[in-house]
Amino acid sequence: MDYVIKFAEGFMNLFNTGASTFIGWMSGIVPVVLMLLIAMNTLINLIGEERINKLAKASTKNPLLRYMILPYLGAFMLGNPTALSLGRFMPERLKPSYYASASYFCHTSSGVFPHINPGEVFIFLGIAEGISTLGLSTMPLAMRYMFVGLVMNFVSGWATDFTTKFVMKQQGIELSNELKM
Amino acid sequence: MAEYNAIKIVKGSGGFGGPLVVKPEEGKDKLVYITGGGAKPDIVDKIVELTGCEAVNGFKTSVPEKEIFLVIIDCGGTLRCGIYPQKRIPTINVMPVGKSGPLAKHITEDIYVSAVGVNQISDANGEPVNAAAPGSTVLGSVSESKTVESTPASTEEKKDERQFKYSADKKVSQTMAEGNKGGIVTKIGMAAGKVINTFNQAARDAVQTMITSIIPFMGFVSLLIGLIQGSGFGDWFAKLLIPLAGTGIGLVILGFICSIPFLSVLLGPGAVMAQVIGTLIGVEIGKGNINPNLALPALFAINTQCACDFVPVGLGLAEAEPETVEVGVPAVLYSRFLTGVPRVLVGWLASVGMYV
Repeated sequence: MDYVIKFAEGFMNLFNTGASTFIGWMSGIVPVVLMLLIAMNTLINLIGEERINKLAKASTKNPLLRYMILPYLGAFMLGNPTALSLGRFMPERLKPSYYASASYFCHTSSGVFPHINPGEVFIFLGIAEGISTLGLSTMPLAMRYMFVGLVMNFVSGWATDFTTKFVMKQQGIELSNELKM
Repeated sequence: MAEYNAIKIVKGSGGFGGPLVVKPEEGKDKLVYITGGGAKPDIVDKIVELTGCEAVNGFKTSVPEKEIFLVIIDCGGTLRCGIYPQKRIPTINVMPVGKSGPLAKHITEDIYVSAVGVNQISDANGEPVNAAAPGSTVLGSVSESKTVESTPASTEEKKDERQFKYSADKKVSQTMAEGNKGGIVTKIGMAAGKVINTFNQAARDAVQTMITSIIPFMGFVSLLIGLIQGSGFGDWFAKLLIPLAGTGIGLVILGFICSIPFLSVLLGPGAVMAQVIGTLIGVEIGKGNINPNLALPALFAINTQCACDFVPVGLGLAEAEPETVEVGVPAVLYSRFLTGVPRVLVGWLASVGMYV
């Protein structure tokens, strides 16, 4: 009998551990992320998508603008995956590079601004949970994640310029470098 | 007899529904606006100018439903935004409101469009009318053929209509002229209403996101954590994970593995793998088994495969040509592979002194 009781206790323990983790997140993470989401949604609706589109058109010329500033702002304003659609203002040859950079930005900024990628925010939150458990602030981690991302996502987009050239040669396809609107 | 033209209305930023193509007809040419305090939104004038319809302030005068061809409202998502769609009368909402309120199920793309400003309204250019009130479906299809005949309306006739509309306005109510554009008080009221409604809609969207994507994932991961920790599997898995995630070199290797083309495509979907591994690393950091400074390189290491599975869709969002997708997929996979390890290394370098 004792054996059965032990087993039942152990079995329920699996779910109790899960439940206490869940309620910890519900009371700790959910309210904060919700408030942020509301504030950001409002801000974005007030600014409007059209103005972002204008900015996108203006920033295709310079690599620093198109792989660093534009995807950063795009991710912040439009979130994942709408930020990726700003690539339509690029010439065909640069679209993969913009994608490479913008899709990273949907993650690296999500520590500071969880509204960017609520569906995948646990990449950050999962690790950050450990930091909070130790009683430390997660902000230094989030900020460094964003700043390193800012530099390295640019490198990633820029590197894709070269890999695109390489694949074009390999496949014998020539993509247009002209911007057509 | 006045000439009528069809117009096309698309949704604005943050809006929902549409595009609607509507056209007034004889005996069904009333544009009713029921907006805050009876103040007239700018789009009313534009629609009247384009279509040649008659605008009526719904707060001042009631119009028989069968005479209405289009309704303009500024409902923040409580009740009014559903009333006219329910009656199948084409509805424009000035506010960025989607399906909401008790009548939400009637708010559909073919009868409702929101967040509409002056820029969202244009000449239909012969596109067929796609939204018509009930009982007039037959009339609606007749009007399609009419559209073609009546599009080249002469400017003289247009002037006539405007005259006609003006006198009609006067008949409705003398005081309306004052209330038309509204005093400062009305304007402030409208602006405040818009901001508050935007907040309200943002809150609705945010709660929706919470319910549809964040909370289910929390539930899933919590259960997983419970199973892993409660069963003792966690200790076993941690032994496996710590050598890899517990040192900088191990993280570089982890990042390298995740970034290998083909493997990166398999690890990508929904970022589930990255999120689960992230959570497990988080648990180990919390227990003190992994140095908190390594959290930063870990963030990069578990996500070097980021969005590799999503390349064709992402490029599709950017309206890329098929050849671009053909080239783009391997190009992105290669660049992820090339930059993956450097990302972890830079992350590692940048983590110095983060938590002492």
